[in-house]
Amino acid sequence: MRITQFLGSKLKNFSNLPKEYIERSKKQVYWKTPREVNYLPRTVERRRFRYTTNRPWTGQFRQQNMPGTMRKKVFVEPVEEWSFFRGDRIEVLVGKDKGKQGIVTQAIPERNWVIVEGLNWHYRRVGAEKDFPGIIIKSEAPLHVTTDVRLVDPSDLQGTEFEWRYTEEGEKVRVSMRSGRIIPIPETNNQTHDYKTPKAYIERDKDTPAAIVGEITFQPKLATFEMDIMEEMDIKEERTPAKSYWY
Amino acid sequence: MSSTLMKCLSLANTLRTATLRSLLTSQQKPTLAPWGAVVPALASHVQAVSGIHTSAASLGLMEFFDDPKVWSENEVKVGRAWKPDELRIKSNKELHQLWYILLKERNMLLTMEHECNDKMEVFPNPERIDKVKISMENLETVVRERNKAYHLLETGETGERPQRLVHNCFGLRYMYKSCEHVLPPFMNIKWIKSRNVGFGGRAVRKFLLQYREKLYNEKRKAKNRSRNEVMMILRRNPDFDLEVLRRQFPQVNIDKLRNEDKARGHYVPKIGV
Repeated sequence: MRITQFLGSKLKNFSNLPKEYIERSKKQVYWKTPREVNYLPRTVERRRFRYTTNRPWTGQFRQQNMPGTMRKKVFVEPVEEWSFFRGDRIEVLVGKDKGKQGIVTQAIPERNWVIVEGLNWHYRRVGAEKDFPGIIIKSEAPLHVTTDVRLVDPSDLQGTEFEWRYTEEGEKVRVSMRSGRIIPIPETNNQTHDYKTPKAYIERDKDTPAAIVGEITFQPKLATFEMDIMEEMDIKEERTPAKSYWY
Repeated sequence: MSSTLMKCLSLANTLRTATLRSLLTSQQKPTLAPWGAVVPALASHVQAVSGIHTSAASLGLMEFFDDPKVWSENEVKVGRAWKPDELRIKSNKELHQLWYILLKERNMLLTMEHECNDKMEVFPNPERIDKVKISMENLETVVRERNKAYHLLETGETGERPQRLVHNCFGLRYMYKSCEHVLPPFMNIKWIKSRNVGFGGRAVRKFLLQYREKLYNEKRKAKNRSRNEVMMILRRNPDFDLEVLRRQFPQVNIDKLRNEDKARGHYVPKIGV
């Protein structure tokens, strides 16, 4: 259990999209050799992407990483264990909202960013044209997890340093350094675009019901898959194959 | 007509009738569906169906298209892909059925994607294609595991297609996948001739030298890159936890890099503190 906890980040993927899809949608292949025997498998594709608040499967992300363009590298310091989750109450340490507390609405681990609801915002003008002044909208700027924010201790609602520790049950938890209280990971972290909680998911027409997914129908048998299927379908194979050699 | 051909034909005939019969005997609702449900709770209404079951009644070519009800929708929500552990508890028969359900779903999705592109429409939830693909890959691994177990138990071999590392005429190693032959290897002159490719000569030696240099350069550049990365991290954050860096970049000698000029930030060092 510890190993799985150690390996996987606790930060849940809000979009609930498979990793393969995210990789596929952001892919930019410039040139690829035909996959034939007379070619070596070579692909020239974009390696470095600029991650922003736009998610990799969106059109805005593609617009910011247009094929053929290069942008300056952003140094992102490695964070060993991601510790800021959606729904966490945090205190802002910099900017015009310094000292204020807010709830994390979005975490962007590619840039070590969190976005806090209603804090660190600025006005943005969109849709301005020659005879139209545009619309002013309020948008929240991201905050760096290493320097700009700190967690709030749930016992006294004051900002605090924290540490990852193990409970006696072997569970890894965040512990406030000041009061020694566990700072639980909020339930909001498990919410996804598709459901609030896994139990609240509405089964669609093409979903297999959970009861049937969990049903055990496998009976161990001394047969290969093909032999079992042939028996099931009443297919009798009486011919003996000719002697052959594998080399 | 040769006797083998006749046999083949008769086998094909029996096969077809068997499948047809199974199709005709049971026109029931399928129990398995392309998407695994998200939660392992929620008892549902669907009754277990016994006997060979098939997919829904044939709709002809319209089975290549999604339900017309969802054509105009912007979002078609589905569950997640089947996980290997869920497939491991399913019988061979059910896996066989599920494979074809998934195959049909994939065909449908690819057709819909093509059609949407053609008609300049937005194809809703394209990640469904990836989910089906993941499910099919997982299913194949499970079937392969079962077959491997059987072959290991019965013959002591995995039953997979044998492979081995061999050198080609340029001295590069590659995986040679064995093939099935009628003749034993010592009699198969053509195969012996095709396999008997040594490598050598001045040109090949030169090629190999340069090829290895290229590989070495790639390795060297990767090492330099991670060295630079560490220096840049140290320059930007002088108080960075060195233990974390050591764990992240085990190849880099961090104690040596700390004294490098490049790793020093643009600040006046504190003297006498």
